[in-house]
Amino acid sequence: MILTRAQKIFPVIFLSLLIFISYPLQTSSLAADIGNCLLCHKYPGLSRIDEEGQMRLFFINESIFNNSVHAKVKCEGCHTDITEIPHKPAIKVDCLVECHIVEPSTETKFSHKDVASFIKTSVHGKVDSAGNEKKFVQDYPDCKDCHDNPLYRPLSFFKKVRPGISEASLGRCRVCHKKDDFIYQFYNHVTTRLHKSRNPLNIAEMCARCHDDSALVARHGLSTKAVFSYGETFHGKAATFLDERVPDCLDCHVNKGESVHQMLSHKDPLSSIHEKNKGKVCATIDCHPSASPKLANYGVHSEFNLNQSPAQYFFTFFFIVLTGGTLLPLMGIIFLDLVRRFFPHATIGRRK
Amino acid sequence: MKNFFFKIYMLAFMVLVVFFMVIIWKVTFAHILHEYHERHKSQEIAKFKEEQEQKVEKTKFEKVILESEERVKHYLGYRILEEVRIKGHFHHIGFDIGPDKRSYCIKCHGDMPHDAVKELRAFLNMHAFFVACETCHIKLEGPQKTGVFKWYDRTTGEIVASPVKKGSPGSFKAKIIPFEKHNGAIQRVDSDDKISFALEYRENERKLSEAQKSKAKKLIHKIVNKQPYLCEDCHQKERPLLPLEDIGYPKERIDSIISTEVVGMIKNYTKFYMPKMLQPGEEAKKQ
Repeated sequence: MILTRAQKIFPVIFLSLLIFISYPLQTSSLAADIGNCLLCHKYPGLSRIDEEGQMRLFFINESIFNNSVHAKVKCEGCHTDITEIPHKPAIKVDCLVECHIVEPSTETKFSHKDVASFIKTSVHGKVDSAGNEKKFVQDYPDCKDCHDNPLYRPLSFFKKVRPGISEASLGRCRVCHKKDDFIYQFYNHVTTRLHKSRNPLNIAEMCARCHDDSALVARHGLSTKAVFSYGETFHGKAATFLDERVPDCLDCHVNKGESVHQMLSHKDPLSSIHEKNKGKVCATIDCHPSASPKLANYGVHSEFNLNQSPAQYFFTFFFIVLTGGTLLPLMGIIFLDLVRRFFPHATIGRRK
Repeated sequence: MKNFFFKIYMLAFMVLVVFFMVIIWKVTFAHILHEYHERHKSQEIAKFKEEQEQKVEKTKFEKVILESEERVKHYLGYRILEEVRIKGHFHHIGFDIGPDKRSYCIKCHGDMPHDAVKELRAFLNMHAFFVACETCHIKLEGPQKTGVFKWYDRTTGEIVASPVKKGSPGSFKAKIIPFEKHNGAIQRVDSDDKISFALEYRENERKLSEAQKSKAKKLIHKIVNKQPYLCEDCHQKERPLLPLEDIGYPKERIDSIISTEVVGMIKNYTKFYMPKMLQPGEEAKKQ
């Protein structure tokens, strides 16, 4: 069969086009790893002991990282001191650095600088209103005390609200947007932000790392082990069963519409849990819209503790003594009766 | 017979009653006592009288990651990601590999043993995660040499099939171990005899005199070469130390291991950091 010139060239053109089309798809999925950092950092054992004797792990789990909010940020976007390979030991990441991503509404480089300013004036800030360093400053949180790399928690709204990605919705995105990588990232980003980015139980666990630390609670004169006492309430119990609707720490302790980093002391008149404001906490449209302000007056963080809640303490104490004082002697008598049945002829000393 | 069963029944009933008594004690009076002690402890801490210094132990990969009890579950809605939590670590770990129960080297040297060469220590530790110490630190020569390497399970220590095709790079539940010829038979270099000798030494170390300790250490390390194999011994096309194909590496992984990318990286690192690559640890010793 004799092929024409056009027939001979066609496969070459077709293959060239195929390579041209598929190339951006291949590279886009690894957009964050332009520097090929994963050549080494994909290995779980990449680790060493640092000068303080602590373990440093340099492993990056690619599949988990690609499902995180930082998936599109290049490694050197955070690890800014690494400009060449081989690289020297990296310096600590500054979370306030301006990364390469452009914030679309202002078209400026993205940064977490605002968060730092929020934290500074919040109850978790390291300096007081006079600008002096707070006592036990080492107890106040840094970014990584509360945050690891945040993971996407996408939602589907297509027929009903459920966790996960709606393939049907993605189909609609694909009508206008051509890159699947972009579609997934955008979908994940938006739907994750439309609800709590962490489950209430995860939030409580995060706060508990400090607020349930007996030593820290005592050092700062806090009235309660906050997450422990939250766990004693109905909301806390439901949270342990992974209920997403119950309020977690942030729902009550942050004013609606503000960043969670703007948490204020209960003594601050602007705080959501200040004596004058806390009546509104329960009565939000998402929780108990018709609730009376008095609903918030119950002891949310009451503990079985004489110093913190004396009335509850004595009330509980009475019932504990009543229960234990009744059941334990009863059990004791049953036990003795069983011993007698087991050894019906046993005596202590001489029988009279 | 009836009497016997009656006694058993009574005995079981007594155990049950005691069990309930313990529970009732715990939820009632023990609860009050606990609160009392906690309150007093808090008061003492508040007065800063109870600042105890914690002894810092040398960290081990095994303790921090592989056997860590501090785990966290991320409830993502559509799935739950459970992993080990390392305080202050930003990136997710997301792998579950048991500690190496077979290796007797790590009992003394730890599972992150490389720290002499500052710039290469992380790379060497990375390899130690799936390559047994003996693979690089024992150079079998002459009749002992077999050129045979196999994988052993980290938990059971048994020889297993190559995990390479199933796992992602470097995250295997197995390690590579060399085989030697001993009395005409081929056996793994970490034989049961060697392991039991080393473990026995560790158990009795305190009782031994300095001379005995020195002798035992010499015997344990008799097969260890002062000069270990280097990166280039495996990362080369011509005659790599490890028979990569035989131990289950597919062609694309072999190509990657001996690729210009990896070999070039090694050369860069050794050139950049290690002008005395052939004497690892020498500089540290001088200091």
